[in-house]
Amino acid sequence: MAAVIDLDMVVDQGQIFGLIGPNGAGKSTVLNMVGGTLRPSQGKIIFRGKEITKLSSHKRAEQGIGRVFQENLLFTSFTVLQNLLVGCHLQSPISLASIFRKTSSYRSREEALMKNALDTLKFVGLSDYFCEMAINLPHGRQRLLALAVALAIQPQLLLLDEPVTGMNAEEVALMVTMIKALREKKGITCVVVEHNMKAVMGLCDRIVVLNFGKRIAEGSPQAIVENKAVIEAYLGTDEDVTSN
Amino acid sequence: MQNKSSLASSVGWALAVVLAIVFPLALSSIYWTSVLTKIIIYVLMAVSLRTIYLVGEFSLGHVGFMCVGAYTSALLTLKAGLPLALTLPVGGLLAGFTAFSLGYPFMRVKGIYFVILTVLTSESFRQLALNWKSLTGGIDGLIGFPGAGALSLPGIGQVDFGGPNEYYYLTLSVVCVSLYLLHRIEKSRLGFIWLAIRETDKMAGAVGINVLRYKVINFSVACFFAGIGGALLAHSEQALSAMEGASFGIMTTIYLLVYMVVGGRMRFEGPIVGTVVLSLVSEFTRPVEEYQPMIIGAIAIAVVMILPDGLSIIPEKIGLWRFKSLIAKSKTDLDPKTQEGL
Repeated sequence: MAAVIDLDMVVDQGQIFGLIGPNGAGKSTVLNMVGGTLRPSQGKIIFRGKEITKLSSHKRAEQGIGRVFQENLLFTSFTVLQNLLVGCHLQSPISLASIFRKTSSYRSREEALMKNALDTLKFVGLSDYFCEMAINLPHGRQRLLALAVALAIQPQLLLLDEPVTGMNAEEVALMVTMIKALREKKGITCVVVEHNMKAVMGLCDRIVVLNFGKRIAEGSPQAIVENKAVIEAYLGTDEDVTSN
Repeated sequence: MQNKSSLASSVGWALAVVLAIVFPLALSSIYWTSVLTKIIIYVLMAVSLRTIYLVGEFSLGHVGFMCVGAYTSALLTLKAGLPLALTLPVGGLLAGFTAFSLGYPFMRVKGIYFVILTVLTSESFRQLALNWKSLTGGIDGLIGFPGAGALSLPGIGQVDFGGPNEYYYLTLSVVCVSLYLLHRIEKSRLGFIWLAIRETDKMAGAVGINVLRYKVINFSVACFFAGIGGALLAHSEQALSAMEGASFGIMTTIYLLVYMVVGGRMRFEGPIVGTVVLSLVSEFTRPVEEYQPMIIGAIAIAVVMILPDGLSIIPEKIGLWRFKSLIAKSKTDLDPKTQEGL
């Protein structure tokens, strides 16, 4: 049994790409495979012309793939700023000498790191919460923090697993604006897995619909809304209704 | 507030070092000096064991690496005639290198699987020492290898560390330097990354942290200091045995873990407090030795239930209690009803 079968998917640079489908369709599995937390048993993953199928998740982050996890993963016992500083890890490699002696170049690198972290916090609107513990933030702000941590690695591609889940209408609107701004201001390509159809339709340029691990439709949001196979996957067929 | 707490912490550390320096002179007993030497060595063992906890893992094999350091240092002095100044770091390095080699397969697993691997490794090292008769003396162990002897110290010249008091001060110096290094590492960005891995390794990997590499570095650093502890122990007793009941048995690791938990695993000073308190309890309950595991166990249960953050949290709790009582008092003073009564 496979979670995802024969999926051929191309995401263009600068696109906001939606991946939708009913529960268990294999959407998060696809993100896990692209992000490197799962390895596909067959097939290839190519990122900017380079095969990354066998790379581990930290290597993919080095290549420029950022990730916002579905389960609201954060460094919860760290402050908001510390979360960002972990996110900036790739920009400041640790040397043995720096543990015992802080040279001026190390200090200036640390200052640049701090500035980058604060800039990212400002971008997502969390500047005022920089010394707050991540665990104490409300859900919506935690999702924004997760986005900020992913942005701290300066990604080219951002994988967003249910970014607006559990948010109220106002927070959803803010997150949607934020994701659009990522593309417009930073040129980041986004792949979004989401159940909130209103958010997906307002956000994505192109959508792939999965059901039981297979692609059942692909196209613009308008085309997807009208697609018969998609409606059946979400609502069932007339036969399903009669048999129930 | 932060300055005040860091000043209190510095004063606490200074006081601990002064007490450690003064105790052997005040007690002037060879027996107590040897007890204190052992306690200080176990402090290093417990603190280095806690280092592994910084990446979220518990090791039950720490004594195995202590055993590597002890036998390496003892054999190098016995068979090659090398001085302790050389065998001590070599013992630590070999323990650290062994951990580095084993770290890559071991750190791929987590939780109970890591615990099982470490305990099996530790037992394998002990069995190896027990059965490699030609090298380690087998059941008879290694006896009569030299102690620290005379060492040349820069700026001071030759100092003889052969006596129990001198060896105690040598051990204290090495342990203090080791603790300083471990503390420095923990407070550096390396320690910060270790903590991030403990929080969530999945997220750490997603931001570009090579989780396996940092975990292996952590394991190697911790085991290096376990090796140093082993070497110090070997030359303190000048006899080594790999028998079950000796220093390298599973019970020693369990005690180290208990010291860490009772003292407080979230704080650097936790294992130090735990080791000193419980080692002294063990010492004072020596007349009822057969009940010692029960006594230590009862203390551990009581601490875990009453103070889950360990004994090292007590000063902070007292400070908080005093702060709250001051606030309550100032509220009462400002209350108009109370003032009316007056």
